[in-house]
Amino acid sequence: MKPLKQSKLVSKLLLRHRSNNRLWISLLALFAGTTLLLVAVMIWWNFSLILNGSVNNDSLGSTFLTIGKNVTNEMMGKKNASLFTPRQIEAVAAAPQVEDVGMLISNRFPVYASLSIANGFATDMFLEAVPDRFMDKRPFGWSWEPGNTQVPIILSSDFLNMYNYGFALSQNMPQLSQATIQALAFDLTIGKGGYTEHYTGRVIGFSDRISSVLVPQSFIEYGNKTFAPTIPIAPSRLILKVNDPSDKRFAEFLSKNDYTTNSEQLRWNRMRSVVETVASGTGLLAILLMGIGTLVFILFIELTIAKAKQSLSLLLLMGYSPRYLAMFMLRRFVPLIIIALGMSAIVATTIQDIASTRLISMNISLPDSPGLPVWTALILSAGTLLIFVTRSIFTALRSNG
Amino acid sequence: MRLSIEHIVPIPMKDRISEYNSRVWNQKLTFNSGERIFIQAPSGTGKTTLIHFLYGLRNDYEGKIHWSAFKMHEINTEQLSQLRASAVSVIFQDMRLFPELTTWENLEVKRRLTNTVSEYDAEKWMDRLGIKHKMDSTASKLSYGEQQRVAIVRALLQPFEWLIMDEPFSHLDHANRQRAIALINEVAEMNKAGILLADLDDNNYFTYTRKLLL
Repeated sequence: MKPLKQSKLVSKLLLRHRSNNRLWISLLALFAGTTLLLVAVMIWWNFSLILNGSVNNDSLGSTFLTIGKNVTNEMMGKKNASLFTPRQIEAVAAAPQVEDVGMLISNRFPVYASLSIANGFATDMFLEAVPDRFMDKRPFGWSWEPGNTQVPIILSSDFLNMYNYGFALSQNMPQLSQATIQALAFDLTIGKGGYTEHYTGRVIGFSDRISSVLVPQSFIEYGNKTFAPTIPIAPSRLILKVNDPSDKRFAEFLSKNDYTTNSEQLRWNRMRSVVETVASGTGLLAILLMGIGTLVFILFIELTIAKAKQSLSLLLLMGYSPRYLAMFMLRRFVPLIIIALGMSAIVATTIQDIASTRLISMNISLPDSPGLPVWTALILSAGTLLIFVTRSIFTALRSNG
Repeated sequence: MRLSIEHIVPIPMKDRISEYNSRVWNQKLTFNSGERIFIQAPSGTGKTTLIHFLYGLRNDYEGKIHWSAFKMHEINTEQLSQLRASAVSVIFQDMRLFPELTTWENLEVKRRLTNTVSEYDAEKWMDRLGIKHKMDSTASKLSYGEQQRVAIVRALLQPFEWLIMDEPFSHLDHANRQRAIALINEVAEMNKAGILLADLDDNNYFTYTRKLLL
């Protein structure tokens, strides 16, 4: 007497007529479709991260723009003509696509910097501050309170580049690395005449986002209050977080008000529409492939059941319940679907890992594994697929039982 | 389990039914659990149709069939499976084995559904009906007589309160028929089950409590 498993017997009766070719083709189409879908979502997701500035990629340009007033001949000589009035700031905040507005406030007091180790290096300079939420980097030590003698400085990396590739080469001076600059301590003297204060300034980081010499906002506010209490504090430049700078209405707003911005920063955003086209094209193809895969899979199941019609009705006759038989079919085929989708997930994870590793050398940092939108797409497509397959199994059993 | 039949008339035979002097069609009948019923059905009177109605294979009839709480005209597929797997067993005239499975596999498909009869008993019953040596033959290669004996053993491999049979011994010789009757009697008694047998000619295979003419 040989022990026989019930599922083996049922399998022998119901799945004997299955066409394995159809099964593999449908699984392959499902795998390819799901992989493409995940890749499409990943393209869209990674670029959203870059464009919305959730990751640190200002070298690509970003949706943070600094705007100022175009300095014209008529404005020359009018001292505050280039400053933004509160009403103008409100108008900018309400402009199309603008999500957030921050003020770049500059010093209204003299700042004199000297480098004690290089005797003779001394200059008048300017400082600016922006609210911290607009900063691309907030290195350790980025804070200042009245009474602190150390003032942290963040320098635009453009300035260092200008020095290294322009000034240093032409004047036969040594080029400086970021680390060298960070090791130097400047003497900062602020104020004039009888009352001055002395501080030690240290560059603690470099910004790709803001072309300026930045100090903590608290330091500028303290200096302006102490040395220029009568001058109203108004920003000369504004920093904007913009949803989609490629929006025509936003560009029109800027030109109508004669505001200037670094138009290079808009360039990357034009790529967004290209990327979105690529992502939606891939997505469409993915949905088409998944549709075909699902269809072939469902046809495979229907055909298998139809071919086993006689055995199926005999099993029902003997007391096998339609639910048992449906569950039997599901237990057979759902794991295959899950394996196909799992392989897609593995491919997607690998692609993301490779992409993030490769792009590090281009100064673009991406997460090394796919994020929530990718997994959501996977779960949604798996759910839809399973619903279709389950329904087709029950329908086929009903019509053949 | 009580079987009630209330005025059932097969729709295809509706016009002719009054011509028969049937004690079943269009009658109100109640069969109590454990009864042994013989239905004598000359050719063309709808014997197989009746068995199919009782087992829920066809529902083109007027009237009502109740297996205790199960109302056959309202029953859903899951309840029907439950009824067939654990309360009402059947031996069809045309056997209905899986032709591609072996004798043993045919029996195992049924036995494994409820697992209420041991492998040992199943094997013993095969032996009693003289089909044990055909255990590994595919059903399509068995003679009608052998197929009928497999169908008989298969019907006994589940718990049942009623066993309904449609010409169950039509292909069996006298000796084999006697062995089959003894086995059915024994297992039905073990299950405290009723028996409903439909056949062409009168017989005394079992100790019937009622004989009816279809």
